[in-house]
Amino acid sequence: MKSADLVHREIIQRGMDSYDVAHLKGRARIKDWEAARQKCQEIKREAINHLDRYLLQFEEKVIARGGHVFWAANSEEACTYVKNLATRLGVRTVVKSKSMVTEEIQLSPVLEKAGIKVWETDLGEFIVQLREEPPYHIVTPAMHLNRGQIAKLFREKLDPAIDSDDPVYLMAAARRILRKAFFAAEMGISGANFLVADAGVIAISTNEGNGRLCTSIPRIHVVVTGIEKIIPRLEDLAVLWPVLATSGTGQGITTYGTLIGGPRRPGEVDGAEEFHVVLVDNGRSQLLADAEQREVLHCIRCGACLNICPVFRHVGGHTYGTTYPGPIGSVLTPHLNGIKEFKHLSYASSLCGACSSVCPVKIDLAHHLLQNRRNATEAGATKSSERLIFRAWRYAMLRPRMYALGGWSVRKALRIIYGLGLAGTILDPMRVWNRYRSPVPLPSESFRARWRKDLGTN
Amino acid sequence: MQSGQVIFDAINNPLERFQQECVGNLMECTLTADSAASARQLSKVLQSLPEGETFVQDDPTLRRLIELAAPARAIRWSSQGAPGEASQATVTLAEALIAQTGSILVTAACGGRGASVIAPCHIVYATVAQLVPDLATALSRVSQERKLDSNSFACVISGSSRTADIEKILVQGAHGPRRLVVVLQTAT
Amino acid sequence: MDQLLPEVAVDTVKVLRRIGCAVEFPEDQTCCGQPALNTGYWGDARPCAEHFVRVFKNADVVVSPSGSCVSVIRLFYPELLAHSSLREDAAALASRTFEFSEFLVKVAAVTQVGAIFPHTVTYHASCHGLRELKLRDEPLRLLRQVDGLKLIEMVRSEECCGFGGTFAVKFADISGAMGTSKAESVAATGAEFVTATDPSCLMHLRGILGKRQASTRTIYLASILAQDGLAQKSSAQGRP
Repeated sequence: MKSADLVHREIIQRGMDSYDVAHLKGRARIKDWEAARQKCQEIKREAINHLDRYLLQFEEKVIARGGHVFWAANSEEACTYVKNLATRLGVRTVVKSKSMVTEEIQLSPVLEKAGIKVWETDLGEFIVQLREEPPYHIVTPAMHLNRGQIAKLFREKLDPAIDSDDPVYLMAAARRILRKAFFAAEMGISGANFLVADAGVIAISTNEGNGRLCTSIPRIHVVVTGIEKIIPRLEDLAVLWPVLATSGTGQGITTYGTLIGGPRRPGEVDGAEEFHVVLVDNGRSQLLADAEQREVLHCIRCGACLNICPVFRHVGGHTYGTTYPGPIGSVLTPHLNGIKEFKHLSYASSLCGACSSVCPVKIDLAHHLLQNRRNATEAGATKSSERLIFRAWRYAMLRPRMYALGGWSVRKALRIIYGLGLAGTILDPMRVWNRYRSPVPLPSESFRARWRKDLGTN
Repeated sequence: MQSGQVIFDAINNPLERFQQECVGNLMECTLTADSAASARQLSKVLQSLPEGETFVQDDPTLRRLIELAAPARAIRWSSQGAPGEASQATVTLAEALIAQTGSILVTAACGGRGASVIAPCHIVYATVAQLVPDLATALSRVSQERKLDSNSFACVISGSSRTADIEKILVQGAHGPRRLVVVLQTAT
Repeated sequence: MDQLLPEVAVDTVKVLRRIGCAVEFPEDQTCCGQPALNTGYWGDARPCAEHFVRVFKNADVVVSPSGSCVSVIRLFYPELLAHSSLREDAAALASRTFEFSEFLVKVAAVTQVGAIFPHTVTYHASCHGLRELKLRDEPLRLLRQVDGLKLIEMVRSEECCGFGGTFAVKFADISGAMGTSKAESVAATGAEFVTATDPSCLMHLRGILGKRQASTRTIYLASILAQDGLAQKSSAQGRP
């Protein structure tokens, strides 16, 4: 069980503490954080409520500039489009900047099977790619590793001459190796943080410069993005950019806020000759149709809910087994991948509500977890034994005397069981509780008994 | 923009705010009084760099500046093509400077996409007249002047490239420039 | 609480009476329905909620020692009973239902209840009270007025203790790990007691602290306020 892996827990705790400090500093740079959240919620609500209109506006402008837009209904269509494009244009090497959607549709294996070498260029993604594991966190993919583990990885997979675990040295090594890839690759694949409808551009927020290189040097630029990334106006970025940076990393703004609307224009010094935007649906339009949970599409993938979630802090990103971990992953995945298989994620929460309180676009994540639980029971996706237990519970709760008698019986039974020294054994109904905690108190009298006895008279 | 004023603090002294933000962004910002001083500053920065090609945006203003600075370095003008893989420095103009976040706004017209990311040192030559108070103003101007119709690319750059992917420790200089230098001339 | 933590209710009644309230305990009450609601069985929670609304229909004010129960009544009964014939009664009830510290400070406008408790105490901000009822400083204001009490702040006081209802059993490992984190924060303060606005948090913490053989004892907020210096059996739990 990951939460028992203390080394792992310590690394995560340190990472989270450092985020907490940075986040507070970032928040202090925004005069009215609640007003910022409100504004961001309004922008996304407007975008999602008129999704078709804004997406068409975006598409029109991109096409007018010589770009291509492909509407992919699902993962398969998206992957096939990119693979066919690459093989048709003789692509042998791809450089990729960070995109959770490409993780979601599992694009890299499709390209690799077609004989194309794919380089993840975001440092965290590069690291987990070498380890052949999925990203641990949607913003900091390799936060579960310490520098020693990364140095060893580089030594084994990249260059046996690597002899230091200093982060500066390791970054320089990665830069040296990836630079060759940037200049050799025929195709650059990026995601998009936002699609701007009125300007017809994609917006990418990055820090490393790898996304910049992927979208500047190779002759083909492909953007893979979810349809829900659309926003109405360029000016909306004036509040979305700082809020995304603050929630994601505690920065005032990310180093690069890149806007690209098409292939290079005549007279420009450089830039891709072909520009393709793949708009991925993959279950999003179904969520759009759900009036109760539609706001989940407002998510700007900042990662703040992961960072604050005590469950995530204890078990980490890989335990979820989904593309998107943390509270947003638990809420979203049943909609994208089916309630029966992924409902357990909505139950893996104490419903503390910290995620809702921190979400910069004010998605009430905790409430949606509860709704998913309700949806799961109504879809018959829970154990029948549990359904029976609650049927019996309900029967008792409607009958005060039965409730009182039931409570008395349970206390009596437990007292007998513990008196016989059977706590923690198979005969102890509280054995799961007692695994981590000393047994609950067993008072001889319930409150109602005491009330009747000597508290009732005022 | 109305809501921008509610959400962010008002910026009363843009120049001061820009300089403060540059410090926080790990950017270098030097104020110069005139083009002679700017040329001297440019020369100083270039001399501090290892041997190698300097890529410069082909623009009359920069042609004059380079002439004044007379650096003993190979110059590749943007009209000759994109910066090479081994470029040590790029020199460009900017569309605007943004005080709120300590940013420079560049477009494809400022020497192309690679000019602000390929070399380890990116030098921006700008004047105080180009300073706007906030992101809202800068983006609004981009919209009004239809910059994204005449340019396939624009970028708001707020510092040197960096990463915190290893143990959340900040490393300056990732795949992009390690140094972002702004030569900010007070008189036009 | 009625069955497992009666002293919580006893002390709540005691403090309310001390400040001059007339307190009634409708004996037909059972449960607000939270376990079924939280596990997704809204069909089973609904009749339970309706029973609750009927039982308390004629109360002037309803006070509960449990922040999580009050948040169910105030925030979820409207949604749960949206199609019930009792929906208006439920809405009316919601507006007159309060958590104990909330009632004292915001409704009765009282922070000084004559309590004496000369011990070091640290405060855990229970999630439902904090995030759903927006109780930030009401409990602290009450604690600050207690004679002799020294309040020590813990780090990450707002982090969930890990109880979460059925979560404590369904995801016992994670719940245990979260509880351990919280216990570590508590231990770091060196306080003799830890208190909160939700007795279920304290029950869970008491178990965790007990397993670790820690010396800190849990005590519900009203139990602190009920201490008036007279010789009486302490309502604190845990080893002395």
